[in-house]
Parts: sequence; structure tokens; C-alpha cells
Amino acid sequence: MSTQTQSPSIALDYVKTIGIVNNGLNGRGFANPYDTAVDSDGNIYVLNRCDPARASAIRVGVCNLDEEYLREFGRGNGSGDGQFIWVVAMALGSGNRLFITDEYNHRVTVYDTGGNYLSHWGVAGSGDGELNGPAGIAIDSTGSVIVVDQHNSRVQKFTDDGKFIAAWGSFGSGEGQFNLPWGVAVDGQDNVYVCDWRNDRIQKFSNDGEFLAAYGEPGYGEGQFQRPTGVAVDPEGFIYVADWGNERVQVLGPDGGFQLLLHGEATVSKWAEDYFASNPEEKAERDSANLKPDLPSHLNTPYHVSSQTEPYFWGPVSVTLDSQGRLYVAETNRHRLQVYRKR
Amino acid sequence: MISNDTALMAHLLRRAGFGASRDELEKYLAMGYDGAVETLLNPSDPGNMPDDLIRRYHVEQSELRDLAGSAAYWMYRMISTTSPMEEKIALFWHSLFATGYAKLNQARSLLNQVDMFRRSGLENFQDLLLELSRDPAMILWLDNNENHGTAVNENYGRELLELFSMGIGNYSEDDVKECARAFTGWTLGNAEYMAIRAAKDSIWPYGRIAWHFEYRDEDHDGGEKTFLGETGRFNGEDIIAIIVKQESTARFLATRLFEFFAADKVTEAGEKVIGEMMATYFSSGYQVRDMLRTLFHSDYFRSEEARFARVKGPAEMVVGAIRMAGNYQNPALGIEKVSNAMLYMGQGLLQPPSVEGWHEGLEWINSGALVERVNFAAKELSNVKSPGVRSIIDRLEAGSKNGVIEPTDLADRCLDLLGPIQVSEDTRSVLVDYATRQGDLHLAGHQPGDEAEQRVGNMLRLVAATKEYQLA
Repeated sequence: MSTQTQSPSIALDYVKTIGIVNNGLNGRGFANPYDTAVDSDGNIYVLNRCDPARASAIRVGVCNLDEEYLREFGRGNGSGDGQFIWVVAMALGSGNRLFITDEYNHRVTVYDTGGNYLSHWGVAGSGDGELNGPAGIAIDSTGSVIVVDQHNSRVQKFTDDGKFIAAWGSFGSGEGQFNLPWGVAVDGQDNVYVCDWRNDRIQKFSNDGEFLAAYGEPGYGEGQFQRPTGVAVDPEGFIYVADWGNERVQVLGPDGGFQLLLHGEATVSKWAEDYFASNPEEKAERDSANLKPDLPSHLNTPYHVSSQTEPYFWGPVSVTLDSQGRLYVAETNRHRLQVYRKR
Repeated sequence: MISNDTALMAHLLRRAGFGASRDELEKYLAMGYDGAVETLLNPSDPGNMPDDLIRRYHVEQSELRDLAGSAAYWMYRMISTTSPMEEKIALFWHSLFATGYAKLNQARSLLNQVDMFRRSGLENFQDLLLELSRDPAMILWLDNNENHGTAVNENYGRELLELFSMGIGNYSEDDVKECARAFTGWTLGNAEYMAIRAAKDSIWPYGRIAWHFEYRDEDHDGGEKTFLGETGRFNGEDIIAIIVKQESTARFLATRLFEFFAADKVTEAGEKVIGEMMATYFSSGYQVRDMLRTLFHSDYFRSEEARFARVKGPAEMVVGAIRMAGNYQNPALGIEKVSNAMLYMGQGLLQPPSVEGWHEGLEWINSGALVERVNFAAKELSNVKSPGVRSIIDRLEAGSKNGVIEPTDLADRCLDLLGPIQVSEDTRSVLVDYATRQGDLHLAGHQPGDEAEQRVGNMLRLVAATKEYQLA
């Protein structure tokens, strides 16, 4: 389901849903996905945050658009080499390397896409190059790694082996200031877009940190945000925002003007079909249920609506684009990806 | 010498809250007793750890797939609230209208029930019973989704009368049947699908789906019913309107409120207060807030007889110690261990042992639970890095002469700043003896975690281990 301006310059078609909740420690399915990356071969890498009960198996799962579950990797929960505690985001760099932030360990861990641990960098602190709760991560056309340093209220730029290049930002709500920023993306000109999470806006900077624009304000309407978590920019400059607190995705034009809303329209994934094939009595009751019910007024907040309306986004935390113009929305609370494609 | 005003305010805050740090106590003292009672009874825009922060860092408390994260979510609320009465009344109703996770496997809906207790728990009892009867967690917990016009299930109707309003002996078996008939058709949306998911503990394919109330008129028995001597084509609303008129309901509610907020045992003086609360129940039009106001202003409640007349429940013990220590003010790894600690003490949030709730008072105490209680509180209060403990150390120094505190003063001041807590002479002498062995305490120039500070931590640990600290 989407809501559009009267004359949007963009249209997105729903493609499919990939995923199923994984209640165990390995295998097909996702465990509170927090971010995705897609390589040029169409492999989809899903970063599983994992809740405390499953933290020992914190991992990256790999699948494809045909819903084949290919493999997974990680070295478990902790602070050792290749281990994670609170993963947040992931970016795919040159040499088939995945850069993964860990906001608890205050570092960036690098794996190759084959699942081999390569290195980690970053130490806790507030000095140049030091990190306090690294969150969003993106890689620009030169290979520099942009990291959102949430508790230091800034963005930092590093070489791909973790050498400090630049930093900008401070705490606040003015231009170039941040309040617990989260996601980050770069566009075709290497401009940097930051989800200024608790200021309910997206800020745009040049690659060296010059403030260019801010989009959005707190609210529930079009072009307004509640705690945006993830951002992506396509080659035409359209800006896709995971409007997490509003349980939706918004698309803005290159000038930041509102274009359209997505609320989610999940269908039964291939993996879900397999589940229902072996649980026909549950399937029968589901088929006669109304999965988009009308709710009592006290439950009419986006979070509550999504908690009761399975097809809608619930915890849409990141938006990722692939080279074919597909949009992947990762939903933490529903353990799935909803895939859209630009028409 | 501790003033009676201070001791009385601390008493009120142990009952209408989870105890108070000295900063919090002073804030309420500035309001005066009447002002404090009104502030506590009228929570408005309470401050607490914001949901967005909790959800950002704790995916398990956003999704609420499992019990552990869900209980921890409520823990955060209790720990961080600036309106403790709101959480305390929710806890009261959670124990009285006990609904448990094990059968439901739906924590979001259980927490929605707790939200309802916050929203309506101090309001009109008739409205509260109506909301309870429409609460989807309660409906599935007591099988009202199986209560059909053509096949009555009496479970909810029976417990509504026995455990939630009037108490056994005040109605007949026929009343139970008629009551149940009136609630036919009161169910939850997608009841059949949700029931099978609950029974199978199904999280597939995409996690939990929360619940909402649904009334199915075609499944309701609209026939004539006779209930407690009145006859009509009653629906559930009519039944509740009859229930709340009964004296037995007034007595039931007043007694349960008294036992939770005033004393484990009802003495003769307590009976008198219960009578006054019953009168308020009727004169106010069934307002819970007004009943509690009557209680808190009663001579009995304000007397020494009522102080330390309750055994702290595990929630009071755990939340009180954490609030005093000033910990968990931001999302942190390990919060689920805190809610698990409560479980080991006998009170797992969202998992009462049965529909009868917890057996409170002295039944909280057995040898295993006592060890858990003492260890937990001692650990929290002896950590001199905790902000609340640091505040106690600073107050000790500020109240000393040149940073020197004599052993007797160290014991008395720690008892004061953790309560004030009234202890027996025997208990006090143990504390004083312990302090005396190390002589005067020199706090001047103290540094975080140094030996002087640790002596304070050790004294606080010892106070937390006293019999008196177990009481509210």
C-alpha cells in the first residue's frame, strides 16, 4: 500500500516478502534484522541484531531474491575478534568487504562476503577517530568510510582501514548538530545524508561536512518524521527514509519534497509457505482471519497498529537499494524484508 | 533526630511508590503531606524512560516476542517513573486481576492490559471492570473466547464475581451462570486464529500479532437473565452495573486496597478504615482514587502502627533498591537479569502463579527468597559507583564535622538516608558495633571507590541485610 502526492515523480511497485522469524541459533530466517546490503550478484546480506536470548548466535545471514538461504557467518556474542554485542548497520565496500558497526563494542568490524573475519578498528572515546556508539555506516565513491558516532553527536570519516580523516557535528538541534543520529547514506555526488534520529529530520552535508540542507520535522504527516533510522539515495537523487517511529517508509524528491509513503503490504514468503504447508490447521484459521483489522482508539498509534496488522511495517529500521532499483526494507519486529522496485 | 514529618512521608512513599531517595523525599516534603498525597494520586504526564530509547537499544522490548524482554520493559518503567503511584496501582491490579503469559504467549497484549491499569486504575471501578471484561488478554486467559451464546463457558463469569469483585459467598451458582451468559460474544478479533497461535506458542511466520477486543452480537445470548435479584435482558455492562452496587464489592475492594497499601494484617483499627473506604466508594461513585485518599489521610495510616506493617513484595524490593542506587536510568545490557531477580524472589512480572495472583505478606519470605532479596539489595546499595550511593556519601560528608563521622552516627545516618528505617535496638547495636570496629570514618577528600567510601558501602550493605529492610 502506498500513499502518493498528487503528481509524484516516482512510483514503487511491491515485489515480494523475504523472511521468517528464526527462533533458534542458526539456519533459514532472520533474527531482528537491523540492516541489509546487496552485492552485484544479487546476494542479500542481512545483519541480525538478535535479542538477548539468541545473542550467542549474532550473525549475518545471506540469501537472494529467489529466497534461497545461502549461508551465514559470525563468531558469536562478545568482544573478541569477529564477535559482536549490539550490531547496528552494515555497508558493502570494495574487495567484497562488509563493514559492520557495533554500538556496544564501539568499533567497526570487517568481514569479507564469504564470511571470513578480516579486522576491526575503532576504540571507545571522544577524540578524533574514537567512537562512542557507532551506528549508521556508508562508503563513498573514494572508498572512505562514513560512520555515525551517535553518542559523540557527530559524523566521522575514515579510510577503509580505520584511519581518521575528518569529523563534523555536535550535540543540539541546529544546522549540523545531532541528537542521537543513526543511519547514513551517500548519493552519487558523495553528499552525506544523516538520520538525525531524535531531531526527526534528515540532514544533508557535502562530503567534507558542510551543511547543505535539512528535511523534515517531528510529526505524523507527509514529509514529517518520527525517529528516522535509515536512509538511501538512488541515482536520480530520490531519498528513501525508514520513518521508524511512524512505522513507514517515505520517499522524498531530490529537493527534499515529499513524494510518497509506504506502509508495507507483506505477503507470505516462500519460507512462510513452507511453514504453513506443515501446519495446515493454523493456515486454515489464518485464511479466515482479517489481518488488517479496525482497532480501538487507544491502540491507534503507529506502533500499536503495526503490532496488530501483520502486513504493515513493524520496526522498519533500514532501507537499502540495489543496482536494479529495488528497495529492501528490513523490519526488526517482523524478521523479514519487504522488497519494492522503482517503476 | 528524624522528624515525624520525614518518617511519615517516607512511609507514604513506600506505599504509594517504591520508597524514595533523599532527593525525592525532600521534593515531596516541600509539598506537605496533603500535597504529596494529591500529587501521587493524580499522575499527570509522568516522566519515565522514553519508549523510543528503549526500543532503539532493546529489540526484544520492541518486538516483545518473549516473556523476559517484556517483564524487563515494565521494570524500566517502574525504575524510571516520576509518578510511582501509577506503577504501584498497575502492580496492584496486576496482582488482583492476575493474567499470566504462559497461557497467552502474547506479551504486547499483556502490557496493553498493564497500560489499561495505568490509565484507569485510579478511576471508576465500574469502568475498570468494563475495560477488564473487554481486555483481550483477560478474555483469552479466562476462556471467554469460548463463551458462546449456544455453549456457555463460565470461567470468566465465575472469576469476575469470586476473584475480581464480590468474593465467594456473596452470590449463587445461578448468578455465576447468568453472569457468564451476559458475557457471551465478548471476544477478541480473529479469535480462532489468535487462539490457535496462543495454544501452539506460534511466532510464525512474522512474529507475534497483538490482540484487540471484538464484540460478536450474533454470538451473544440476548435472552432474559436474573442476576443478584434483578431481571432483564442483561449484557455484560448491565451485570457490572449490578456488581458495583453491592456492599460485598465495596468491602472486597476496600480490603484488598488496604492490604496492599496499608498493612498485611487487618486489625480492629484497620477494619474501621476499611469501613471508611467503603463509605467513600459509594459516596464518590466507585472512585478508586477517592478510596485511597481516604486511606492515606486516615489516622491509622498516618500512625506508627501502620509503618513497616507490610513485607515488601519482590517488585518493591528490587525496584526500590535500584531507584535508591540510581541505576538503570538509561537502556543497558542486563536489565532482564533484574526482572529475573524478581522472579527468583517469587514474583515474576507478567507471570503470576495463577488467576489468584500472588500470596503476599509473610508468604514472600522463605529461605531461598530471603537470600535472593538480601543479596540483591546488598549488591545494589553497596556499589559506591552507583549515582544514588554517591549521593548518600556526599550527604554524609556534608552533614559531618570536617568529614569525620563517628561510628554511631555512621549507622544512624545510613539508616536515615535509606529510609528513614526504624530498627530494633538489637539491630542498631549490630550496626554500631560493626562501625565501631573501624573507628571514626574520615570522608574528607574521599575519592571514588576509596577505602572511606567503601566503608559507607559496607554499612549500606549491612542495612540492606537487616530484617527491617525487608519491610515497607
